[in-house]
Amino acid sequence: MSLIEVAGLTYTYADGTQALRGVDLEVGEGEFVAFIGQNGSGKTTLSKCLAGLLRPTAGRVVVDGVDTSGKGVTKELARRIGYVFQNPDHQLFNSRVADEIAYGPRNLGLPDEERERVVQEAAGVAGVRAELFDEHPFFLTKGLRQRVAIASTLAMRPKAIIVDEPTTGQDHRQSVEIMEFLVHLWRIEGHTIVIVTHEMPIVAAYAQRVVALCQGRILLDGPTREVFAQSDALRQTFVKPPQATRLAQAWRDLGVAPDVLSVEELHDSVAGVLASRVARAAAEAAASERSPEGHGMSRGTA
Amino acid sequence: MPQAEIAKKTLLGVVPVSSPFYAFHPVTRLTMLVFLSVAPLFIDVPEINLVLIGVMFGLLRWGRVRLMDLRKYTPLVVTVALFMFTIAFVSPGDTERLSRFELAGLTFYFEPMWWAFVSYVRLMAMLLGAILYFSTNRERDVLVALRSLRVPYPVSYTVGLSLRSAGMFMQDFATIREAEQARALDLESMSLRDKLKLYTMYTVPLFAVALRRADEISTALFARGYTLSGRPGTGGKRTDYIRDRFVMRPADWLVSLALIALFVAIAIIGRTTGLFAVEASPLRAIVAAALGVA
Amino acid sequence: MNAVEVRDLTWRYEHTTRPALEGVNLDIVEREFVLVVGPNEAGKTTLVAAIKGIIPHSMSGILKGEVRVFGERVEDMKAPPLARQIGMVFADPESQFTALTVEEEIVFGLENIGWPPAGIERQVRWAAEVTDVADLLDKPPYDISGGQKQRVAIASVIAMEPRILILDEPTSMIDPLGKDQVRDICAELKREREMTIIVVEHNIEAFAPLADKVVVVNDGHVERVGPPAELFAEIEYLAARDLAPPQVTTLFERLRRPGRYVGELPLTDEAGIAAGRRLLEAAR
Repeated sequence: MSLIEVAGLTYTYADGTQALRGVDLEVGEGEFVAFIGQNGSGKTTLSKCLAGLLRPTAGRVVVDGVDTSGKGVTKELARRIGYVFQNPDHQLFNSRVADEIAYGPRNLGLPDEERERVVQEAAGVAGVRAELFDEHPFFLTKGLRQRVAIASTLAMRPKAIIVDEPTTGQDHRQSVEIMEFLVHLWRIEGHTIVIVTHEMPIVAAYAQRVVALCQGRILLDGPTREVFAQSDALRQTFVKPPQATRLAQAWRDLGVAPDVLSVEELHDSVAGVLASRVARAAAEAAASERSPEGHGMSRGTA
Repeated sequence: MPQAEIAKKTLLGVVPVSSPFYAFHPVTRLTMLVFLSVAPLFIDVPEINLVLIGVMFGLLRWGRVRLMDLRKYTPLVVTVALFMFTIAFVSPGDTERLSRFELAGLTFYFEPMWWAFVSYVRLMAMLLGAILYFSTNRERDVLVALRSLRVPYPVSYTVGLSLRSAGMFMQDFATIREAEQARALDLESMSLRDKLKLYTMYTVPLFAVALRRADEISTALFARGYTLSGRPGTGGKRTDYIRDRFVMRPADWLVSLALIALFVAIAIIGRTTGLFAVEASPLRAIVAAALGVA
Repeated sequence: MNAVEVRDLTWRYEHTTRPALEGVNLDIVEREFVLVVGPNEAGKTTLVAAIKGIIPHSMSGILKGEVRVFGERVEDMKAPPLARQIGMVFADPESQFTALTVEEEIVFGLENIGWPPAGIERQVRWAAEVTDVADLLDKPPYDISGGQKQRVAIASVIAMEPRILILDEPTSMIDPLGKDQVRDICAELKREREMTIIVVEHNIEAFAPLADKVVVVNDGHVERVGPPAELFAEIEYLAARDLAPPQVTTLFERLRRPGRYVGELPLTDEAGIAAGRRLLEAAR
């Protein structure tokens, strides 16, 4: 059984907007998935339904055996799946960092000693140093506030964590830092990670699997390489693959691998094509030199 | 996309996409509000207020307001009724001078109960007047009405900004609720006392959001050349492009002046004669007789 | 006369110990399209805020040095003349939008600076056309998307026809379609108008092709100023400051080093695809 099972999920907002129109999805334990799609495609609604923050209008969402439509399942769901919001200010409930991290465990009813322990652990994993425990979260930098929010989620020891827009507004170094941290949570700590994002280079560099949504339905679902290869379909939801991928796709007829995900891969492919052409041209030149009508020097660029 | 664009939600209510009310200048519509929500104060004869309520329902229909969208006020209407009649029943005052009657085995006192009825009907008339206004006016109309009445620009701008901020807060509030749920806060299983404590806790994130927003908003205002007085940089009076697009037509003057005249008349009649007094109500006499009360 | 002249600008925010900007000197020529890049907290926003006049008028702190816009000292100008000369669009589409309809939002600035009422309609119509919000004029802010709100923000600023337009991370909080639309509007403004445009962005890929020059801000200083093709060739320099050039530029820089590629470094998809095809076909 998959960690998260979604069947026929439909969600309609109070004002009548149909955000999701029958979504079927399975997320296995230990996956690293990215939800992409333009605003209004339903990706944020889907992520909130997965976390049980929104109850399906129709269909089912089952997380680690718990049906999100059930009564009184809030605590059970919080134990299994965490949700980190885009704006840390929305998740600021206490005036001390330590209390903030302890907030979830406290709501879950953990005894004092155990609560202390999970707080220390979560803070450690999230890189929230003990010196910050007495600080008021409001006055920390955005990056640190995000870490505190993640620590607060980790303190409930969920199997899966959903992060909404982890890299929005960050500079390159901060983006890499937070993504490397999520990879650490995934590979080393064994969490299942779902990110909801607009930034395709981030998806290309870190996500294992991509789910693209369009107008409330799943448009594409598969390994990152495969999804980005389908640029025509992606256009429907106004998503472009990263620039390196776009270039590779434009040069596919010249022998470049069209499914690259990074500049490094693209460079290797292009250099490889150039090298093999040089080698072939040299071979042809050598062959033509041996023949009576010489065809001149090979034009090689090394 | 929301289905069938018949009505649109605003910060203050639900308004129809098209309505004959929109032909009237916002000031005329504001005059209607003042009349409908203040005139009942002078009238202690519930029949008249009931007629007024009937007229307002008629206006709602004519204005193409969907009564379906007003369903959310039902709990309020019922709660207020229960509250007022219960108070009248439980503490009728000096019972010696009151007329009593029996109903379903309970003892009631007529005067306080009747007064509760009069007050309730009056309150409902005033409420319906406000509902009618906010169902036929968008935020922009409210502000244009204020500016047309030459309310100083900084005042009307503050009203607008407050509405806008309230709107932003409502979105933030919803997100904060979800964030709390994500932290295992189970609202369903909480006692009322805990729920009340919870509302004070909302102040922490709302304040954080508010402080940051206030900063950003004030910077944005500065960047658009706004000065506290609202006066333009070139000196002189501030022009008002949008307000000046709305023109008072003959129908507007007719309705507004008629309503003002009617309002003044009601106030004077109410004050000087006993026409609108409690005792003047024929219905009161009928009900009293039916209950066997003097 | 330069559009912007910054001389020895030093600014320390109140309640902080280190200055956010120190001894900054910068000239921006009229009609230039300038891209300002750098890590977060480097001073980019502080720099453009100082050009716009938010510093020192709307912020508390200690100012040294001066900023001149078309010869006038920003310190000496009040909000309306500053708005007339310099328009600024911020990162958050939500908190910039203070009115209750799109039209009101666009008209607000025009009324603040005392634009003659007879001309207001024309300004609104033009600004709404350039930013493609003409059919949104009657809508309230909660009925439109983030990308649309950002376009309204741009409309409400350009309606005042400022000579300088500053955009501070305009695409960071909106979706990819919105990002492209903002980029396209900037491109159109550059082509059609005599505006000096200054953009602060992490989204270098979108804006590098439009830039006449790139300003690198790091640790409170303006470190480098130069044309994008030149600057983005310096991969180690950029990597050391955690700045990522457009992927196409990095690719061709890597091919250029061992001499596989000879020529200018492309900044766009189109230029890159064309250069790549020439390179790969020539090797046949």
